Amino acid sequence: MTPDHDAIHLEVFQNEYLPAGADVVDAVITVTSSAGAGATAPPAAQVVMIDCSGSMDTPGSKMAAAKAATATAVDTLRDGVEFAVVAGRADARMVYPRVPELRVASPHTRAEAKLAVGELVAQGGTAIGTWLTLANELFARSRAEVRHAILLTDGRDQHETREQLTQRLRACEGRFVCDSRGIGNDWVADELRLVASTLLGTADGLEDVRELPAAFAAMTRAAMGKSFGDVSLRVWTPAGATVRFVKQVYPSVVDLTARRTRVSDRIGDYPTGAWGAESRDYHISVGVPPGGLGEELLAARVSLANGVGANAPVLAQALVLATWTDDTALATGINRRVAHYTGQAELAAAIQDGLAAREAGDLATATSKLGRAVQLAAESGHEDTATLLARVVDVVDARTGTVRLKQRVASVDAEIASVRSVKTIRLKKAES
Amino acid sequence: MSADNTAAGSEPASVPYGVSAPPSRCQECGGADIGPDGYCETCGTRRPAAAAHSEVDLGGIAGVSDIGARHHHNEDAMGLAAGAGVTAGVVCDGVSASSRPDVAAIGAAAAATEAFAARLGRLAAVMAPAASDGASEADAAGGTSDVSRPGQVVRTASIATLLEAGAAAQAGAARAAGPEAVPNPPSTTFAAAVVTGTDIAVGWVGDSRVYWLPDPGTPGEPACLTVDDTLAGQLAAAGVVVAADSPNAGALIRWLGTDAYDVEPHTATLAPDGPGRVIVCSDGLYRYAAEPRQLAEVAPAGRPIEVASALVRFALDAGGHDNVTVVVMPFPPDPDESAIVSGAEVNGTGASDDP
Repeated sequence: MTPDHDAIHLEVFQNEYLPAGADVVDAVITVTSSAGAGATAPPAAQVVMIDCSGSMDTPGSKMAAAKAATATAVDTLRDGVEFAVVAGRADARMVYPRVPELRVASPHTRAEAKLAVGELVAQGGTAIGTWLTLANELFARSRAEVRHAILLTDGRDQHETREQLTQRLRACEGRFVCDSRGIGNDWVADELRLVASTLLGTADGLEDVRELPAAFAAMTRAAMGKSFGDVSLRVWTPAGATVRFVKQVYPSVVDLTARRTRVSDRIGDYPTGAWGAESRDYHISVGVPPGGLGEELLAARVSLANGVGANAPVLAQALVLATWTDDTALATGINRRVAHYTGQAELAAAIQDGLAAREAGDLATATSKLGRAVQLAAESGHEDTATLLARVVDVVDARTGTVRLKQRVASVDAEIASVRSVKTIRLKKAES
Repeated sequence: MSADNTAAGSEPASVPYGVSAPPSRCQECGGADIGPDGYCETCGTRRPAAAAHSEVDLGGIAGVSDIGARHHHNEDAMGLAAGAGVTAGVVCDGVSASSRPDVAAIGAAAAATEAFAARLGRLAAVMAPAASDGASEADAAGGTSDVSRPGQVVRTASIATLLEAGAAAQAGAARAAGPEAVPNPPSTTFAAAVVTGTDIAVGWVGDSRVYWLPDPGTPGEPACLTVDDTLAGQLAAAGVVVAADSPNAGALIRWLGTDAYDVEPHTATLAPDGPGRVIVCSDGLYRYAAEPRQLAEVAPAGRPIEVASALVRFALDAGGHDNVTVVVMPFPPDPDESAIVSGAEVNGTGASDDP
């Protein structure tokens, strides 16, 4: 059974009027799905990867929280969902079941799984690429439409190179969605963001391990609520046009530009992962051959396709237009949403660049970038980000972006600021 | 009171009609694949509502519309409907300062034409008893009573039909704007004529015109039956002569579209004393022959399609600065139903080649 396609709709926000000679068309596409899984939930599978490196025992509360959280996730699974638990160290081992397979959730298998999880010991290293590789093999045996993984780590990915991680991640791309969480003080925001952006999931750090069971339950519930497993943002552009970028800009910034799958000469699919009842925004920028005054061009036809490739059916569609005019009042307006998300993307980049400069000891760049971030967060009313930034810098004047780097910063504060840098807010209703 | 014999039953069926055709190919790149949303699947250019060149030939009446030499799109549209002894024609000229004027013009012309097609049958039914009643009344009273009354019935019915078509045209132009508010919403002019065996009734909004060209031997002079809804047109009608090149002289004071408020067609009637031709046209024609006498000189004799083609050719030869659309309707209409080409022959070409 498939959910009602009418439950997904697209809305375009743009200023279609361009001055003579203009050759760039920007639009924000809001995609809203009211299709909660409910009775028509498609078949699902979930793999939980728990960091079992030696550091999980210092303090021991981390391992205890990880076990409790995994048990909660297992309990949250719907009957009939396929699942497995993997222990992550310098390599990956099956925890439940013992063999590299998925099991169907039932009262019996849940009890078995919880028993197996309870026996886990913290011992060894960290190579999350190998964990993901095992998860990928498990999902490959499943025909489930919704394939979801949870990755938990407390440390740096030190037993593989960044190239190995990138390569292993690439092999998983499009195969499953992965949410990742860091606990403790030693996880690395960059690594979690890389996993999240490649596998189209979320990334976050927890400030208190006691929050972990609730976080696992929430991620599992969200996965159980997905009604489409693998949705593509399909973009048609006319001959002579170029797609400058395609980014998810809400609820977080994910650059999808390089993730294009060719459907035809003029059509490409960009992956968006699984969808439940939710709303996301995408910013699309298309370079077009400038048209004559009064000319009207379809700059992009944007649709949502259930799957990837030419045979994937279209769920909903919207048009991005361009009209060239000599009416300067029309042509000079910038759509508020486009401007807003341009600012939010700049904010994310300023935080990441600023924190990277700070880490590298380039204090001048760090101060300037983080000052700009504080200014953008204040302008857009992004209070969560402003609060996080205030842990890293002393704000002298948010309006002008004048800040001083804090001398002492708990390392996890910088990581949390970094991992959450991509989170965006929407325009308030009155402003849109 | 005069249509008792027919009004009791079902509505008379729609008469044959035709409107400007959409282009079959993209006018920008020549691509043949146009998406259902109206954009070229190759280059993304919006397909204009009307082909660069359209011809509608119903036999008894005919029209030709052409993009002209200077314009990017044909933003004129026409529609024709013909029943036995009664014909109607409409020309709409999209206002180029508005957005998607071609869509407004087609929307208005098509809606008006459908309204005509649905009502001409009823109008024919009004005409027949009115004519016979009138004859017997006049005879009975020895020709001294109110002889204008039967003609008056037909004129009233013709005007009512024109006003209904005008209302349909306004609704069609408004639909062109789509559900959302747009700046400079699509706008168009409207000029239409209903020709019966006794009268010519005309209705208009804007500066498209209807001319009466009497045949040689028919008493009376060639005349323009409409008064432009422009500053210059209204001042001229009041006896004030304004130079054509005065600022705003040609600015429209009435049009159809969602931002228009005064949308009921102005109307006029004429009861000719003999045969002739009614010409409904856009300013792309009359800018080269505004005086009725000039227009009469350049309109050759011939079948309606030949006359319409010749007048369009005349405008193109004179420079073709604007889209040009001409509908030719003989008076009186051919009462023979077989003169009407049912299943209208409509030719639209997508090629934007300038002549």
